[in-house]
Amino acid sequence: MALRKLALLAVAAVSAFACGGTTSNAPTTGATITLGAPLGLTGSLTKESQLTQQGYDLWKDWINAQGGIVVNNVKHPVVIKYYDDTSNANQSAVLMQKLITEDKAQFLLGPYGSAATATDAIVAETNQIPMVEANGAAQAIFNLGYKYTFGVLSPANKYLQGVIDMAATLTPKPTTIAMLSADDAFSLEVANAINTYAPTQGMNVVLFKKYKNGATNLSAEVLAAKTANADIVLNSGHLQEAIAINKAAKEQKLNAKIFAYSVGPSTPDFIAALGADANYVYDGSQWTPQVKYTPAFYLTESQYVAAYKAKYPTFGDPDYHVAESTAACLALQRAMENAGSLDPTKVRNALAALDVTVFFGQIKFDSRGINTFKPMVVEQIQNGVHHTVFPTTVADAKPQYPTPSWDQR
Amino acid sequence: MAYFVQLVIFGLLAGGVYVAVGVGFGLVWGVLNIVNLAHGALVITGGYLTWQLFTAFGLDPFLTLPVDAVALFVLGYALQRGVINRIIRAPLLFTFLLTFGVNLVIVNILLMIFGSDSRSVNPAYSGQGLEFGSIVIPYVRLASLAAAILLAAGLAFVLNRTRIGLAIQAISSDRDAAQLVGIDLRHAYAVTYGLGAACAGVAGGLIALIQAVTPTAGEPYTLLAFVVVILGGLGRVSATVVGGLAFGLVEQFAQSIPGSGSVFANAIAFGLMVLVLVTRPQGLMGRLR
Repeated sequence: MALRKLALLAVAAVSAFACGGTTSNAPTTGATITLGAPLGLTGSLTKESQLTQQGYDLWKDWINAQGGIVVNNVKHPVVIKYYDDTSNANQSAVLMQKLITEDKAQFLLGPYGSAATATDAIVAETNQIPMVEANGAAQAIFNLGYKYTFGVLSPANKYLQGVIDMAATLTPKPTTIAMLSADDAFSLEVANAINTYAPTQGMNVVLFKKYKNGATNLSAEVLAAKTANADIVLNSGHLQEAIAINKAAKEQKLNAKIFAYSVGPSTPDFIAALGADANYVYDGSQWTPQVKYTPAFYLTESQYVAAYKAKYPTFGDPDYHVAESTAACLALQRAMENAGSLDPTKVRNALAALDVTVFFGQIKFDSRGINTFKPMVVEQIQNGVHHTVFPTTVADAKPQYPTPSWDQR
Repeated sequence: MAYFVQLVIFGLLAGGVYVAVGVGFGLVWGVLNIVNLAHGALVITGGYLTWQLFTAFGLDPFLTLPVDAVALFVLGYALQRGVINRIIRAPLLFTFLLTFGVNLVIVNILLMIFGSDSRSVNPAYSGQGLEFGSIVIPYVRLASLAAAILLAAGLAFVLNRTRIGLAIQAISSDRDAAQLVGIDLRHAYAVTYGLGAACAGVAGGLIALIQAVTPTAGEPYTLLAFVVVILGGLGRVSATVVGGLAFGLVEQFAQSIPGSGSVFANAIAFGLMVLVLVTRPQGLMGRLR
């Protein structure tokens, strides 16, 4: 009898061990993870929001094809719930709260733009749910001591610094800068950073002109830049304004050695809108398809471009808005895996400790939650195509410098 | 001095587009008593039409303007006849709500058709211009100003010299009396709104030449039209011309204030509007009614 009991115990122990062994080799499928993101699917930020959504969806398709995020040996498929915030920052915050309370979003992905990210960060903080964002670069968001907001992108103050670094390597070296900046927080942060940074590279800002965010008639500003006769014309603003400035520069025969705009030239729209007039324009970019990093997981740069083109065949190469949005998802994924838990606080702590390199570059957050570790690259449009021209380690072309005068193009 | 002259030129050239945006808005407001919140959406519809004709058929953007006018007239006529006429005698708030709704519908239809990409019309002569020493006058903006003045003159002709124009003026003076003498109100209303939309369409075609067009790019122009019409004065096309050019000049000079002063360009322009409302409620050129 005792022997029989012992035998049964042995069988039970073996089968328990076998079961345990099975679970450690092949993860089981667990509950679906719900992520939430309000995006400006209508309104003035539709274009950028659409690119953001593409970046999120590209990752979602990939992770679900793998069976989901593996957390503590359980695979969790992912759904992303979107709402249209009509490009309105206040509405974005309302919808973020709705995502948490009604849709039970467990983690949050950022909206598009610094304004909406700033309002949404408050919601993430009050609900103590981590938000990983990819499209709010204003440092003002991260200087408020929030613990639950993480930005995978380089902060605003770095946007045009790469252009200055590049200019310092060129001959003849440009020395004077005319800065035209929109008056929103993000653009001013980009512009003010140049004000302090340029002198360290032997350059002077001879004109600093603010204009109303969203202005479409910028001929007075361009006239001021022409009068200042600067070597470098910088714009810290948005796509529409960059197009308006470039058009006015041609009309007024404003000939500078370098035209560089913070946001705009990296989107395909800039080239489509301006045609050959878009050539020679530089921009600071979070990412280009040419960069070379060694990813720890997910796709390489070339695989990423191929995956994007397969899913969105009419869009050309993915621009940096798409890539950074995918990177936000990757950071969240890796943090959940590292935490081994779906507990918001544990994932938050894993995000704070995260240090991983993906196709987008290094993702690591400083104590404020912004990624100050990834460098910006400089792009130039050459013959209607984007080329990475700086830093030279990732460049695929040399800068075409100086920009020929409008009469000679 | 050259700088000053250049600013005046740019101000007047920018004002030309504002004239085009303002005349249609002023007509609809003056005759129908509708503050047309869909005006900007109609403007940008014209912009898309010009872009489409330019990219698909290589048609010169200025030659597309008559097409914009006709297409938008038809759209405007149908809108008024089918939708807005129903609330024409309702309190002002209803017209606000309805035209705002129409605005949303148009913007979203544009979004569905064209997506959110920025579209721009770039003919070969874009960026070229007359040069007098350091002063430049871009062809595109000069031609836009000319087109806007022609548009205003054409509208004034229709209103003052044609039968339907006189009928519209009669309605504007006294709606009930006009009906008593046999004017078909519904038709005349629809023609008025159609003319307003046609002007908006032409303005949109001009705007597509100087800035990128997106479905929401028209919204600032509704507000701008409002200011231009108040500045100039309601009820006369020539008043809107003065209002548009004045606004262009004020905006240009405000933007040229050194340093951060240009951020207040809008505030200065709107401040001027308030000043005009306080001192000359009928506008710079308007008649008291």
